[in-house]
Amino acid sequence: MVIRAHRICGGKAEGEAVVYQGLFSFLGDLDPATGRICLPRHPLEGVSVAGKVFVFVTGKGSGGSDVALWAAKKKGNAPVGIVCRESEPVLSGGVIAAGIPTVDRPEINIFERIKTGDWVRIDATEGVIRIGGASR
Amino acid sequence: MYLSEEEKRMLDDNRCPGRRRALELLVRLAESHDAERLVPVSYAHVAYDFCPEDFWNSMTEGVHGTPHRVTTHPSFSPEIWEQWGLPHAEAWRGEHERKLKKFMALGWLRTETCAEYLLGIFPHKGDIVPMAGSCMQIANNSLFGARVDRMGTLPSLAAAVCGRTPLMGLLLPENRRADYVFELEDVDVTDWTPSHYHCLGYCIGNRVPGYRVVAVNGLPPNLPFDAARALVISMPTSGTIALAHVVGTTPEAPTLSAVSRGDASVNLIKIGKKDLQTTWEMLNFQDTDRVEHVALGCPHATIDEIGRISALLGGRKIKTSLLIGASAPVEALARRQGWAETIEKAGGRFLPACPSIGNPFTRGDISGDKRAKSAATNSARCAHYLSSVSGAKVFFGTDEDCINAAVTGRWKGEPPTW
Repeated sequence: MVIRAHRICGGKAEGEAVVYQGLFSFLGDLDPATGRICLPRHPLEGVSVAGKVFVFVTGKGSGGSDVALWAAKKKGNAPVGIVCRESEPVLSGGVIAAGIPTVDRPEINIFERIKTGDWVRIDATEGVIRIGGASR
Repeated sequence: MYLSEEEKRMLDDNRCPGRRRALELLVRLAESHDAERLVPVSYAHVAYDFCPEDFWNSMTEGVHGTPHRVTTHPSFSPEIWEQWGLPHAEAWRGEHERKLKKFMALGWLRTETCAEYLLGIFPHKGDIVPMAGSCMQIANNSLFGARVDRMGTLPSLAAAVCGRTPLMGLLLPENRRADYVFELEDVDVTDWTPSHYHCLGYCIGNRVPGYRVVAVNGLPPNLPFDAARALVISMPTSGTIALAHVVGTTPEAPTLSAVSRGDASVNLIKIGKKDLQTTWEMLNFQDTDRVEHVALGCPHATIDEIGRISALLGGRKIKTSLLIGASAPVEALARRQGWAETIEKAGGRFLPACPSIGNPFTRGDISGDKRAKSAATNSARCAHYLSSVSGAKVFFGTDEDCINAAVTGRWKGEPPTW
């Protein structure tokens, strides 16, 4: 299945999806040293986004989220790609600086189509999301 | 995207690779949000010490100064941490000193605060000021009517280096009207402290599903500065809000109709007792009553907050460590007033640095095995980050609850009855 979306940061990525239908801050919600979601009582507390395609609504919280994403990427603990409903500027600047292929504004409700564990491929330069068809 | 002749020259100028890279980053950010062009800044604000050193070096290479003013967020304070005997202070020193040296060589202003408006450095209505720090962004947008879009630490350095920022988001007047209107029901705000407003702001941030503008309607007019600030700055902790009109208080919102979209697209949300009770509970991440540390001044304390703390401490001694985040000029005023001495005699400490994300007493990478594992605070933002960044057990309450905890080492704060 092919879904059109809007490019935030170009490039290609693929991986297993982690889906969170909420707002996410890479500073505070993610432990950059492990790649796991660390905010106490977060619905996905303990889940790793390292090497995954992370699907969420948009960014939130501190303007330092981009630095946390940068640190996670340096340690190999960042998502390989991001799909969100509508990227906000802190998230956009973070993925552009860190070089994480990212798309937003998918043409359909992404939360009805992508489930955690699905294999997802992004061609952010072309603005395309593909679900399934693992090339593992 | 349109680029001016000067911007094109910046992109071609290989003698100043930092400025070229900075402009490239801003252009990519602008394009990702379909901005038509960049605009010159009134001034800019960075968070130099929170920038990764490789990024800092890359953006400032070959840059020898800027024609516009640049100020900064709090930095780290390894020198003071060392005086306080925090075990890993030394490890932070080299990088901090290298970045500070370059910062000073750029001729930038060492304000080191997240509440720069308290120093008399604040934007006029309509000023374009790209800045690091979500809580100063929302304060400058909402309380002063500046045009500030949400922006991360990394692009804010790029904007400071080039003196340009993308014309997008909240820089555009048509994007500054409220998508969400919040009103209180079944609660009486008469006896509210700033902590109650922190709680309301955190609650509102949680209710808005993305980057949207809000208005808060029905509060008493001309809210005291500490209350209005507490309300707006808590929103970008739990949410993505960077502009909150407080009707009857903030400059763009003399009335609701002045800021509301006035059509069916506006969402009206009522906040009641139950919402505030749940939020207060969410901000208390504790499972014990033991308190080892108290963090106040998040964002950096106003002189009024320091006055309240000093009065509450009186001649008492504290059992916990107590950190008050405050800028150097505000601390100096507290010292002239005799309040700093009262607080320090009790055992409290001032730091012109971040008492939440960068709190040296709770962060294991600074205080090692001396790390405080539980902490109390009067700030929703601080509660959130002490818990998530430091992994501390956190208590959230009023100034009075926090000072009692500092004196006794135990938390006795009760949630408000609203």
